[in-house]
Amino acid sequence: MVAADCLKLTTYFGERDRVDGRLLGDALLDIYAAHRLQASVLLRGTVGFGRAHQLHTDRLLSLSEDLPVVSVAVDRRDRIDAALQDVLAVKRRGLVTLERARMQAGALAAEPWPETLAEATKLTFYVGRHERAGGQPAFVALCELLQSCGVAGAAVLLGVDGTRLGERRRAAFFSANTAVPMMVIAVGSGDRISDALTASAELLTAPLVTLERVQVCKRDGHGLATPHALPGVDEHGLALWQKLMVHTSEATSAAGQPLHLEIVRRLRASDVAGATSLRGIWGFHGARPPHGDRFLSLRRHVPVVTTVVDTPERIGRAFEIIDALTHEHGLVTSEMVPAVQALGDARHGGLRLARHHY
Amino acid sequence: MSAWVWAGVALLGGAGAVARFVIDSLISVRSDQALPLGTLIVNVSGAFVLGLLTGLNLMGNTLLLVGTATIGAYTTFSTWMLETHRLAEDRAHRVAVVNVVLSLVAGLVAAALGRAI
Repeated sequence: MVAADCLKLTTYFGERDRVDGRLLGDALLDIYAAHRLQASVLLRGTVGFGRAHQLHTDRLLSLSEDLPVVSVAVDRRDRIDAALQDVLAVKRRGLVTLERARMQAGALAAEPWPETLAEATKLTFYVGRHERAGGQPAFVALCELLQSCGVAGAAVLLGVDGTRLGERRRAAFFSANTAVPMMVIAVGSGDRISDALTASAELLTAPLVTLERVQVCKRDGHGLATPHALPGVDEHGLALWQKLMVHTSEATSAAGQPLHLEIVRRLRASDVAGATSLRGIWGFHGARPPHGDRFLSLRRHVPVVTTVVDTPERIGRAFEIIDALTHEHGLVTSEMVPAVQALGDARHGGLRLARHHY
Repeated sequence: MSAWVWAGVALLGGAGAVARFVIDSLISVRSDQALPLGTLIVNVSGAFVLGLLTGLNLMGNTLLLVGTATIGAYTTFSTWMLETHRLAEDRAHRVAVVNVVLSLVAGLVAAALGRAI
C-alpha cells in the first residue's frame, strides 16, 4: 500500500500517568490496536521535561519509573482521525501532535519522488526487534544500507509496545519479543533517501516505512540553514508549530556531561515548553561505522534523539541554544507541525491541521 | 522461629521498603542536585537507626524484626551502587566519587552517633 495522505499522531506524556487505574501508555496502545493501525510504537525516553519544567530522568532509580514516554501512530488520514477521537476521549495530561507523512506498507513501490521531499527527507522504518534481513538483525542491515547510500545519519529506537501492519506487538518479560516494533529513523537528502528506499526493498520481506519532509539545519556541527521562519498562524488563522530533532551520541560531551543532557538542561532553563530525549540502541552519523554500546565500556556510545515541539517563535530561540552547543557534533533537523494540542487543566492549541507552503 | 516472626519480618520489611520509596521520592523530586540525595539520606538515616537499636541492646526477635527486617529493607546498597555507576556513565566522575565517600563517611558517623546516644 502506498498512501500519500497519511498522518502521524504523536503523544508525549509521563510513564506513570494513569487513566481509570490503568497506565496511559497501555490505554493508548489498546486504542491503536483496536483501530488496527498500520504502525504504532511506544517509546520510553531517558530524560525530558514538559510544561511544568519538572525534570524526568533515569539517573535516579526512584524516579526512573516516571520517565517521559512518546507514542507514535501512523496510518491513512481517515483512520488516524477515527483513532484520534478515542485518544482525545481519554482524560489526561500531555501533548498531542499531528504531522503529515507518506507511508508504504507491506511492499515498497517505486513512486515519483514528491517535490516536497527533494530537499531533505526523514525516512522511518518500522521493523521487528529480532527481525532478520540479509543474515543479520534487520536494524543493523538497514543502518549499513543507509550509510552506504550516503544518508546523513540514522538512529534505532527500541519500542516497548506497538502495532505493525495492524497487529499488536507488545513486549513482555518472558517472551522472545521478536516482532515488537522498533523505529529506524534516517535523515538525508531526497535523492539519497530515495536510493536507500529502493535498495531496502530487496532487504525486507514486509516493509513498513514513512517519509516526511524535513529541513537539515546542522550536520556534524556545520550550520547548513536556520530553521524556516514560519509564521505563528496559517492563512486561515490556524496556529503553526515547529519541531526540532537533535541527533547526538552519548559519547559526545558538553560542559562535562553527555551533549543531550546539556541541551535539555539549557532548554529547561529557557522558556521552551518541553523537550524529550530518546536513547537509541544502534546508529550512525557521518562516515563513522554504525555502532552501539561497547561491552565493559563505562562511557556509552549509543545515539540519542532529542525532540522539541513549540511555537515557531520559541523554536527560533531553542535553535539558538542548540546551535551554540552543537558546534562540533550533532545533526539538527526542523519540521513544520500542523497541529498541536496540550492536554491537562488548561488546553492549548488545537488539532485542526494548519496548511502553509514554504 | 515462629510463624508470627516470619510474618512480622515480611510485614515490617514491606513497611521499610515503602518508607524508603516514599522518602527517596519526596527528596529526589525536590532536589535539583546531581548527587542522589534521596538514597544518601535513606542510607545514612538507616545507619543511624540501626546504630541506635544496637546501642539499646535489643535481643533476639526484636532486633531481627526492627533491625534486619525494617532497616534492612529500608536502606539500599544496590541503589547506591547503581546510581553511582549512572553518574560515572554521564561523566559526572567527581559527583560519583563524592557519592561513594560521603555515603561511607556519613554512614559510619551516623551509626556511631546512634550507638553513642
